[in-house]
Amino acid sequence: MEGRSSFSPPGYSMDIQFVFIQLFNGLALGSFYILLSLGLTIIFGMLGVVNFAHGALYMLGAYCGYTLVQVYSGNFWMAVILSPLIVALIGIVMESTLLRKLYDLPHFYNLLLTFGLMIFIEELIQIIYSPMGKPFNTPKELLGSIDLGFMLFPKYRLFILGVTLFLAIGIWLFMGKTKLGAIIRAGTDDSEMVDALGIDISKIFTLVFGMGAGLAGLAGVLAAPLQNIFPYMGMGILTETFVVVIIGGMGSIFGSILGGIIVGELITMGVIFWPPMANTLIYIFMAAVLLLRPRGFFGRVKFFE
Amino acid sequence: MGRLRMPSLIKNRWCLVWLIPLFIFLPFLTPHHSLASEMLIFAIFAMGYDILFGYTGLLSFGHAIFFGAGAYSSGLILIKLQAPLLVGLLGGIFVSLVIALVVGFLSIRVKGIYFVMVTLAFCQMFYFIALKWSGLTGGDNGLHGVPRPSIGPIHLDSEIRLYYLVLMLFVLCLFLALRIVRSPFGRALQSLKSNEDRAKSIGFNTNHFKLISFLISAFFGALAGGLYALHLNFVPLETLNIMTSGDVVIMSIIGGIGTLYGPIFGAMLLVYLKNLLSAWTEQWNFIMGILFVTSVLTLRRGILVEVKQRLFHKR
Amino acid sequence: MRGKIIIIGMICFLFLLRAPYALAKDPVKVGVISVLSGPLAVVGKGEPDAIKMLIEGYGPLLGEKVELVIKDHAYSPGLAVERAKELYEKDKVDVIIGCPNSAAALGVSDQAAKNKKLFISTDAGTCDLIARNPYTIKWNYNDYMLATTVGLWGAEHLGKRWYTITSDYAWGHDLLKYFTAALKKKGGEHVGNDMVAVGTADYSPYILKAAKANPDVLVLLNVGKDAVNSTKAAVEYGLKKKAKIVHALLFEVDIKGAGIDIFEGDYTAASWNWVAPIPGVRKFADQFYERYGDRPIFMAAGGYSAALQYLEAVKRAGTKEQIPVIKALLNHTFKDIFADPGFVRAEDHLQLAKSYLLKVKKASDVKEKEDYFEIIGSVAAEEANPPVGFFGRKIGGF
Repeated sequence: MEGRSSFSPPGYSMDIQFVFIQLFNGLALGSFYILLSLGLTIIFGMLGVVNFAHGALYMLGAYCGYTLVQVYSGNFWMAVILSPLIVALIGIVMESTLLRKLYDLPHFYNLLLTFGLMIFIEELIQIIYSPMGKPFNTPKELLGSIDLGFMLFPKYRLFILGVTLFLAIGIWLFMGKTKLGAIIRAGTDDSEMVDALGIDISKIFTLVFGMGAGLAGLAGVLAAPLQNIFPYMGMGILTETFVVVIIGGMGSIFGSILGGIIVGELITMGVIFWPPMANTLIYIFMAAVLLLRPRGFFGRVKFFE
Repeated sequence: MGRLRMPSLIKNRWCLVWLIPLFIFLPFLTPHHSLASEMLIFAIFAMGYDILFGYTGLLSFGHAIFFGAGAYSSGLILIKLQAPLLVGLLGGIFVSLVIALVVGFLSIRVKGIYFVMVTLAFCQMFYFIALKWSGLTGGDNGLHGVPRPSIGPIHLDSEIRLYYLVLMLFVLCLFLALRIVRSPFGRALQSLKSNEDRAKSIGFNTNHFKLISFLISAFFGALAGGLYALHLNFVPLETLNIMTSGDVVIMSIIGGIGTLYGPIFGAMLLVYLKNLLSAWTEQWNFIMGILFVTSVLTLRRGILVEVKQRLFHKR
Repeated sequence: MRGKIIIIGMICFLFLLRAPYALAKDPVKVGVISVLSGPLAVVGKGEPDAIKMLIEGYGPLLGEKVELVIKDHAYSPGLAVERAKELYEKDKVDVIIGCPNSAAALGVSDQAAKNKKLFISTDAGTCDLIARNPYTIKWNYNDYMLATTVGLWGAEHLGKRWYTITSDYAWGHDLLKYFTAALKKKGGEHVGNDMVAVGTADYSPYILKAAKANPDVLVLLNVGKDAVNSTKAAVEYGLKKKAKIVHALLFEVDIKGAGIDIFEGDYTAASWNWVAPIPGVRKFADQFYERYGDRPIFMAAGGYSAALQYLEAVKRAGTKEQIPVIKALLNHTFKDIFADPGFVRAEDHLQLAKSYLLKVKKASDVKEKEDYFEIIGSVAAEEANPPVGFFGRKIGGF
């Protein structure tokens, strides 16, 4: 006997405009998953570490944004550029001081370390900033909606889509066309060989971890105007990011992008079409992927071990 | 990490001199009686988990599923069917094993890091299912009114009496666990952990072994869950929480995986400390975090083994 | 060796003999459970603080100074039950007050019945606490009251077409149930509802759905982060300009956290607020402010009231024995800084009082710290609260 009811009000029609706007919403939500899973996937691909602290880094991005804007009276644009850099720096420190120590041990030690670091970082922020939420407003330039002809869409979310697209293409090009990208890809395949060729693989590791952290931080500062900023905001999104990576395939950039879109859309469209199951849908999809293609859409067989 | 560990009671017989009285008088040594029951309940949980993690080498981040399923099922059986206590516990174990069969089968299809993430995701899924299915589970409010049926003439309403029931089951579980890890099956698990390919080449059906190990750990978790329901007279939703999964991992690591005694010690220590520290400071989660990070970084083999090494092998 | 054992045994025996004499002092002990760590600590610390303030100023009761034991349950129902056991069995408190989190409160209530000691639930909203057992009294607010206050007053003053966004768990479901009943009573129209999982960060799909339905009022049956996220989305998509927004429960902490501009002009129901027109309220709020640097929220005032009335009941009963004290509390009308008047109904152990409608001020109207609300209406105690026997439960004997 539950008081649950999710019925359509009179006059509600499944019109194209409504579906479209929700599809776009799903893309905007998916953008966060893309940014987060990109970071997670390159860290795993290169270092073999499942970064449980990724959610905490996302949260740090949001708090950096808050601190820069509220405490130092910066503006939003400054925050968007500086926060990822600061979080990347924190990531670099984390990797070079702590994670490095456990590389010669089985991978799950580092996983557990990042898990512990997640707790540590969240609690530390809670002590410093108080468990209360923090305000962060959408910048004036991005308030309001753009009339795309067939629908109105909030400017800010278009901005997020744009940034994500830009970054996704950027990383794709970086990995594919630059020398450093080639080194990273080589290191992903065989880090010992790269080391033997005279390239300091440990610096590459650090760089990659920093990049991943920076992406998480960017996602955090972009999310700040849209949701409540509080110390534990990274926890929920972390599990969902894991689902993205499972669906898309660990170590695959394209898989992260596809997985992010799928999960974003599943969650958003689930709200419309099957509200009671909106949250559980992504796990059902994940279970199906596990049954039919355990390594995900684009997972590389090498990591599947 | 490749060493075979075979805990043996006989070698450390002198330990029993103070261990046995410690366990017998535990409710009187802890700040309050029911804390002792909670310590042993999580010790049972961690013990079973060690078989999967420490001996088989599978890091599951979703074991709260079985703890919670055991708690809810036992609770429901006791409430709705007014069943006797042992039937309730066994029923909880049965339901959890069925779930473990499905989850285990699906999870074991992927290896290494994937396995961790998949078990985590499953845990989240079950949490949401329990949250939604409030007609069955009470949803966010939890399942209230779990009775403590008497066993024959023995009433269990007093916390102390419940403790002795938990103690008996704990000892039973310990013997069971010891037999498992010292059996050929247990050795097969360890060989699987150190080198799965080699184990396969010898002819072990490794997936088969992994699944059984998974089921065994779920068994212990479910029993612990059922006892937890009795202990609180209710089942909170957080039994299915990811943090509960994380807790048993933390307990095992801090205690020392792959030794059975390590996770037992880790579980008891952590439950005790949680209780103690939360009375003094509001930041005990933070302290836990530091403790855990330190453990992973330095006390690689866990507090118990490290202490043992330092104290007894320095001669 | 044997000699040592005999000597130790005799010493223990002598201690045992002495023990009863150590129990000569037996003051009234009040236990308080609240959330003092983790994300909700800001909300939870007010109540134990207020009760501490009360007891320090109260003076002796039954010849002894009243003692206070405060425990943290970190918003975890499991921990709450552990704490309740500790308090009743080890600390031997005579009453437990407080306990936010409905699941936790239910667990504590069961422990109260088991130990045959009083629990006054001041913070949890679930109506399952009403008429639950003879040792539980529901104080302060309950979900029926919140939802009905909003529904009854809102339907008269805010508009006829209502859209609800509900947190998808027991609390939200209950609120929705009572709210729609109240709305119907006043002839309002419920044009749509969405169930949203707790912790959802992105409310945009729901806000868009709501906007499509063109309501006069958007009701957010959620709290905390969800209230913030849903309101932010409503502002973002312009729904706030078209419809009025009503919250089931809105904490000052959330207003502070997200910034008052987001919540400006929103309505909410409450059992109390520090600007309520009750004699002595301002003095209480000032006293609290001087001591703790913050204004008290309704949880603090409710706890203060429950503790005060408990102590007064002990005085009236002349003993701290459970049954006489509980009887002294029941069917009793009282006036304090929380309720003017308040009344504890004997049939279902429910404390009744007037409920208030609050409106969030504009940032420019905020004159002092934490002055976020103005009181714009109220609903009578009997109208806002469930009638006797509404839940089909009867309290048994002691």
